[in-house]
Amino acid sequence: MGFYSSLTVFTGLTVIAVMGVFVLTGMAGLFSFGQAAFMAVGAYVAGLLAIRMGLGFVPAVLAGVVASLAAGLLVALPVMRLRRDYFALATFGFGEAIRALLNQSVGITGGAMGLFGIPVVTQPWMVVGAAVWSVWLVRTLKRSALGRDWQALKTDEIAAEAMGVPTYRRKVEAFLISCGLAGFAGALFGFYTSYVDPAMFGWFRSAEWIIILFFGGINSITGTVASALLLSALPEFLRFVAQWRVPLYCGIVIATINLRPRGMFGDWELSLSTPGEVLKGVRRRRGLAQP
Amino acid sequence: MLVQQLINGLSLGAVYALIAVGFGMIFNVLKFSNFAHGGVITVTAYAGYYVAANLGWSFLPTLAVAILVGGLLAMLVELVGFRLIRRRGGSVIFYFVSSVTIGMLLENLMVIAGGPTFYAYPDMLAKASYPVLGASVSTVNLVMLAASTLALVTLTWVLYRTRTGVAIRAISADTVTAGLMGANVDTLIGVTFFVSGCLAGMTGMLLGMTQTLFPQLGRVVVKGFIAAVIGGLGSLGGAVIGGIFLGVVEVMLTATIGSGWAPVLLFLILLSFLAVRPQGIAGVIAQEKA
Repeated sequence: MGFYSSLTVFTGLTVIAVMGVFVLTGMAGLFSFGQAAFMAVGAYVAGLLAIRMGLGFVPAVLAGVVASLAAGLLVALPVMRLRRDYFALATFGFGEAIRALLNQSVGITGGAMGLFGIPVVTQPWMVVGAAVWSVWLVRTLKRSALGRDWQALKTDEIAAEAMGVPTYRRKVEAFLISCGLAGFAGALFGFYTSYVDPAMFGWFRSAEWIIILFFGGINSITGTVASALLLSALPEFLRFVAQWRVPLYCGIVIATINLRPRGMFGDWELSLSTPGEVLKGVRRRRGLAQP
Repeated sequence: MLVQQLINGLSLGAVYALIAVGFGMIFNVLKFSNFAHGGVITVTAYAGYYVAANLGWSFLPTLAVAILVGGLLAMLVELVGFRLIRRRGGSVIFYFVSSVTIGMLLENLMVIAGGPTFYAYPDMLAKASYPVLGASVSTVNLVMLAASTLALVTLTWVLYRTRTGVAIRAISADTVTAGLMGANVDTLIGVTFFVSGCLAGMTGMLLGMTQTLFPQLGRVVVKGFIAAVIGGLGSLGGAVIGGIFLGVVEVMLTATIGSGWAPVLLFLILLSFLAVRPQGIAGVIAQEKA
């Protein structure tokens, strides 16, 4: 595990999880402080199946994703009809409960000591591939009817409901997608480090994902990916100021929210037509006639 | 033994009630859940410790310092974190993220200031415990119970019997209209934050005395949030009931099934509460603004 390969893996995993947060928070406007717990569910279920039952890599990862989807459904069904604050609270409670559960069931999960001996299978290229795939998935979703429903209910839930958007169903779907992506990242994580412990999945990690999202711009996938790359890679190179890392983060976010609430990138998206648009802008600035 | 657990539960519940009320005051006015409250609690606990341990002040002056620091810090938080958003009329989401971030910032500043180590407040009370109904109850718990009750009674008096209190209740009903009627909204919101910060200061110091002092102390704010939800968000009376209920249940659970499993069961209780009675005990449902 060289420095750059592990940096690539951790950044890629952050991108995958943050894409889930983009769907949930950026598009549907819901907050989860328990996303890291779904990552934990994915990591533990996949790891345990691989260790105890000798399940292969692919089925184990799939099982991890399915388990986090099931856990997501358990939280979503009772809570999603309520105010958004309650949802944030319930996910937070879920996160803490999962951590307590992992710490307490020492016989199965190894408790606070952590789970050892997950086979090392994940390679950096796999994570990069998975990250690209998840960005593609979320981009497709954003452009689909589903994505427009989410953005409608984020802006005004009552109006969206009146226009025929099944808001409850759509919110559950957004949450499940984000849980699935977090579980996926978790399963890949376990197969890379071969060791997981409950302290890795505290609510701080969930909050960090939300910070990344807000820094990049909650309406822009491009911005979110850029800020995920920047904010997860930067601290690794700033080890000497490790202590000030989090306050620095917080300062950036507070400044962003107060001074530039749409995030660094606003609504802007990178697309195939971007080079053409840039060119057009240059021409306009030079006063050249439009063809 | 049961009496002792009950009193411990009551005094823990009284602190939860303090948090829930401080939390609920902001919720009433700005309609968002202010998680920066936890950060303020942490900072005041450290401030109290500094004054008590390094300068050797006694209990009451220390408490006054903690309360004052809390109030001023909360006003600063409002100025830095929320005022611009409010001026712009930004959505609730921004308040929420801003408050969480500030909570995190304050917590981490305390990590830098005091290190991740644990501290213990010096003994400031003359007697460690008192016998109550045949059970021995620690003085800190009794002080906690008394101080919280006093604070809540005072707060109720201020909110319902003074001019400022009436104005605060008016802006919590409708900020814009109250402003048109001549209420100075900026000042009143500042006052609300100050009062809520004073409660946080009290909470911080009392928690620091009963538990040990560490940077994550403020995360207890979540318990206050849960208490506020159980009681009914936006109702101060409900917040008190919810806090006391939560405190008693938590102490009882910890005594019977251990502190490891208690969070799991508390989560299940919360979840079933949200499923069965989302409007909380007080039954005032907080409407989402259309």
